[in-house]
Amino acid sequence: MANRILYIITFFGLMATTLLTAQDELPQKWNTEKIKGTRHIPYGAYSGSPFMNDKFIMGEITFSDGLKMDSIGLRYSSYRDELIYYNTAISAQIIIDKISLKGFSFTDESGNKRVFHHQYYNGFFPGERYFEVLSDGDIALLVYRKVVLQVCPPYNDNAGNLKNMSYQQAYNYYLYNDKKGYELIRLNRNSLLSNFDKLTQKSVKKILRKNKVQITDEQSFVIAWNLLKENGITINF
Amino acid sequence: MGRKIFTLLLLFAVFTVDAQEKESLNLFTDRDLYISGETLLLKVFAPASEQSGVVSIDLINRNGKKVTGVILEIIDRQADGFVYLPDSLSSGSYLLRTSTRTSKIRTCKELYIANRFTGLPESNSDMKPVGIVPLNVTSVQDLQVDGIENQYKPRQKVHATLQLPAGLLNQIDGDLSVSVAGTTQGNMAPPFLQISEEETSQSIVKEGINIDGIITDLKTAKPFKNAVVYLSIPDSIPGFQYFITGEDGRFNFQIGKYYGKIPVVIQCFAKENSNLLKITLSDRNNLKNAMPAFEPRTFTTEFRKSVAKSTDAVTFRKIFNQQEITIQPAPIIKRDAYPYYGVPTKTIDPQLFIDLPDFNEISKELLSGVKFRNYNRIPTLQVFNAAQQFYFNDLPLLLLDGIPIRDLNVIKDMGTKDIDKVEICQNERFYGDLIFPGVVAIYTSKADYTRVPESNDLIKLNLEVIQHHAVVNTPSEQLPNEPDLRQVILWKPTLKPAPKMELYFQTSDIRGSYKVVVHGKTTDGSIIYKEQSFEVN
Repeated sequence: MANRILYIITFFGLMATTLLTAQDELPQKWNTEKIKGTRHIPYGAYSGSPFMNDKFIMGEITFSDGLKMDSIGLRYSSYRDELIYYNTAISAQIIIDKISLKGFSFTDESGNKRVFHHQYYNGFFPGERYFEVLSDGDIALLVYRKVVLQVCPPYNDNAGNLKNMSYQQAYNYYLYNDKKGYELIRLNRNSLLSNFDKLTQKSVKKILRKNKVQITDEQSFVIAWNLLKENGITINF
Repeated sequence: MGRKIFTLLLLFAVFTVDAQEKESLNLFTDRDLYISGETLLLKVFAPASEQSGVVSIDLINRNGKKVTGVILEIIDRQADGFVYLPDSLSSGSYLLRTSTRTSKIRTCKELYIANRFTGLPESNSDMKPVGIVPLNVTSVQDLQVDGIENQYKPRQKVHATLQLPAGLLNQIDGDLSVSVAGTTQGNMAPPFLQISEEETSQSIVKEGINIDGIITDLKTAKPFKNAVVYLSIPDSIPGFQYFITGEDGRFNFQIGKYYGKIPVVIQCFAKENSNLLKITLSDRNNLKNAMPAFEPRTFTTEFRKSVAKSTDAVTFRKIFNQQEITIQPAPIIKRDAYPYYGVPTKTIDPQLFIDLPDFNEISKELLSGVKFRNYNRIPTLQVFNAAQQFYFNDLPLLLLDGIPIRDLNVIKDMGTKDIDKVEICQNERFYGDLIFPGVVAIYTSKADYTRVPESNDLIKLNLEVIQHHAVVNTPSEQLPNEPDLRQVILWKPTLKPAPKMELYFQTSDIRGSYKVVVHGKTTDGSIIYKEQSFEVN
């Protein structure tokens, strides 16, 4: 009996070995796409931050041909609308060519995944821009995280120099559809309601009231937007 | 006990062959006998695990020397193509062999090629491969070829129907391959598997063609570490790749979807010092180690007759200039939107200005931010860094028709007439881990890359890449007086499976036996086939 068991075990062992050998593990499929860009020259030091994230955060970029590259240190410059990555091999901060990217994403310090798309903006100051996607779908809720350098009341910086310029947030929020383009939207209840007809506005108000959502900032606006999407309320766009 | 061990070993062998077959490529040709100067048609079924995206087909002679070869694109786990058999081939057995970058298993098929001018050897004997294990193909009864009669007249129109039952239809993976061709008496061996002794590539797999080699120090002939190897594909938007060698001095490039023949330039230089280097590309043409054994065989009278008949047919087709296939245009592939060196800051066309005799004058008069000097016959080149308002100290990336060059003497004599346009990037550019302190890209009027000299560290290749698709020509009804000497009267390598598939073809002027052969692959990796013979008298 023991012999028979040994015989069966040996047989199955050999069979498994055979199949594993034939299926030989192949090298991992990965693309060798190279990042193209120019050197990042530090901006002027003023109060406020020109970057959305001051530190480099590990993230993923998607090239225009759809290929992805992950685990690279990224920093988004809201001031210049540029994506900067840190090349560890040559210790350089490089501005990735915007034209070569479809988008990028990273998880911020509070654990939220931030997704940015590179797309053409045809409104005022047309051009290629990175938009953060707050809510995706047929009609997407996007934000252009612009920071501008503006004149401000005089102040002394850390080195004691007197300055009168500072980086200030000038975020713009848009509703976006592939066919219809962009529509500027403000982060308040009235702006949201104005996108629905009178009959739908009632149900929108009801949903917001039921869920105790008061639109005061970006976060509450996104919550409200997602709630309406969940309830199948279509927007006039 | 001995019987048990024997049973165990037998089972082991069966499983090994079966597993290999399902992981291997399957190769089928339109015929087994060819005449030099003809075109061979072939079909390949690839396993689902095949990642390289292309398959190399090599025609190898009995000594293991590659005679010719093509690279086919694998689309939906299948590929089809053709091989021109050179007129100069001597009569004998040849192997047609598939190979991919990721698979150690290669499929071979024996062919007999007779020289059009010398015919079969006078000794009436030749060598044939022995000790080979043929690949399993299953004849399926469910697949029916209806409407084929036993006999047809020359130039008779034939309508046949392939009937595929629903059960089998669901099992078919990809397309079917259908051929109607003349058969040869004294048939050749079926396809067989061969395990490669060479090491398959361990590099990252990307779809495309592989170019690899080794960089050695010219003085010591030892592999050179930290050599920067550039591969450039001159074009309006040039292609570019680089590789930095390790301890073994080896480099590896994978070229994507390019069709036909493309110019490729490979060059290298030492990253940190000025050693003289040499590039040696891997020789894949000598495959002697992977050849089966051969033994003598004698030709039958029928085989000699078949060869004589085919030789006449091929010769007359040549006389009447009848092309067997028509090459299809290559698909349009979306390449990079801008060159790898970046969107140029400035583009200058010197021909819009007054004629200038050399590059020194052109740089002074037309290229602001580019300082080209030739003091004491030592040329120097610098580009202005617009972002930081100074000239870079280092030599910028200098390109001639997309090919990086390091010897400034190549461009110093170029005048207005030689230059089509100059593109300049006035910033520090990065490509992967490479840093370019500015870029000057010169595009010449001739665009023939002859100014770039070949050397030990620069190789120019005219690389055969993915083969263009082709269709088999059918006889023109407008030329009824021309003989129709086709030996392959139908070749449909990508017939979409359906419950009913209609086949229309016309017999040629060549009388003899013909066979309708259908090949397909099932989802479990097995190969199915069906054949039906008829005569043309």
